[in-house]
Amino acid sequence: MGSMLIDQGLEPGTPPEKWNASHPEKIQKIHLDYFNAGSDAVLTNTFGGSRMKLTAHKQGHSTEKYNQKAVKLAREICPENRFIAGDIGPSGAFLPPVGTVSVSDFEENFLEQAGYLADADIDFFFIETMFDLKEAETAVKAARSVSKIPVFASITFQKTKRGYFTIMGDTVLNCVKTLEKAGANVIGANCTIGSDEMIDLIPLISQETNLPILAKPNAGKPQLENGKTVYLTEPKPFAKDIEQIIKNGARVVGGCCGSNPEFIKEIAKQVKGE
Amino acid sequence: MNFADNCKEAILNGDIGLTEKLANKAISENIDINLAIDAFSLAIREAGDLFEEGEFFLPELMRSAEAMKAAMTIFEPILKEGKDDRILGKVVIGTIEGDIHDIGKTLVAALLSAEGFEVHDLGADVPISAFIDKAVEVDAQIICISALLTTTMVGQKKLINQLKEKKLRDKFKILIGGAPISKKWVKEIGADGSAENAVSSVKLAREVLGI
Repeated sequence: MGSMLIDQGLEPGTPPEKWNASHPEKIQKIHLDYFNAGSDAVLTNTFGGSRMKLTAHKQGHSTEKYNQKAVKLAREICPENRFIAGDIGPSGAFLPPVGTVSVSDFEENFLEQAGYLADADIDFFFIETMFDLKEAETAVKAARSVSKIPVFASITFQKTKRGYFTIMGDTVLNCVKTLEKAGANVIGANCTIGSDEMIDLIPLISQETNLPILAKPNAGKPQLENGKTVYLTEPKPFAKDIEQIIKNGARVVGGCCGSNPEFIKEIAKQVKGE
Repeated sequence: MNFADNCKEAILNGDIGLTEKLANKAISENIDINLAIDAFSLAIREAGDLFEEGEFFLPELMRSAEAMKAAMTIFEPILKEGKDDRILGKVVIGTIEGDIHDIGKTLVAALLSAEGFEVHDLGADVPISAFIDKAVEVDAQIICISALLTTTMVGQKKLINQLKEKKLRDKFKILIGGAPISKKWVKEIGADGSAENAVSSVKLAREVLGI
């Protein structure tokens, strides 16, 4: 969603969520393109829609409005038997020693956003790109406490010489166990790494849990060419990696940074024969 | 363990209390503070290497940098007295306007400061004029501009262009950072360099100042 909005003219410094109010037709068009490509569910345009994140853009006062609008826009064009996921991303702030916020700041932040999303009638929560397990755990608990709908929780791992870790040093095992205990119904990974590097990560998750696993890799690593960001993985090889990711145990798949409806179309072709 | 080993261990453990104790001990017992600073510096470099190796993560690296900073704060009055001026240079750093990502920038600021640079961290979403005003005000040698978004990277170019217009370009070394930054971009906008990561940014800062 984010990179597609930038392509359509979202100015640097403007939070994407602002477009839920100012450019509703563009948001709906993107959702529709994904449904038409074969998506079973789309994510609301609320990744950075928590008060802490919006406040960094001086838009904290619009938190309720942006979240409500986002769900309404997706709901209006959602076909029958398809789903709307309430997207929740990181707050952008850090616990000590890196930053200065507290766990209770996170709690308040995610309780508010999860509450707006649940009230606006989403089908499930999609908590993603979490790089700090403590923040992820807090968000999952917050979502769990405001509603009975399913909570999907996705961590962003980097690949180091010693294996996969969050940037804060959380292990795969610890992430899976903690999120499961916090009440997540689906656990997985997204962003940071490309589809090729995610293939080997999935079995590490599946051996630690019986919950369904989600995988939403990037379309490779971003490269800059002539002042423009390009992701080097094409839709077809991406879908091929996704096929392997599914074989390795993932039940929910999609594309993160650098992907677009073309990628979903290829995945749908491979997994659903569409 | 000797004094230098203790210093090193205190930094690697991110033990601010112990680091401060050792710094104060160096002063009260008239130990050459350069011995302590060198040991601290070695340790912070090792912490950086461990981060690159995937042995240390963000919290460990930040704790080590914070400990180093605490020690340098204790030594500062002595260093400022003159003879032992170890301030390597003055740096103005920030994330460019429109971009609120500041983790990479904060890390670079912490490591530069730990190394002995006087760092003025302007935070994130910093207007171009604020970079220039601060750099002129403190008489900085280096301006570090971070941009994590491909859409805000262009701000790095604008800053350099404004410095040129104000005939200030030659006064500062401009280092740029952020995930999408490439050597090609550095060349294209006429910056003085970019580093692969926070650890190598310290080496780069020394390099551009010829120290």
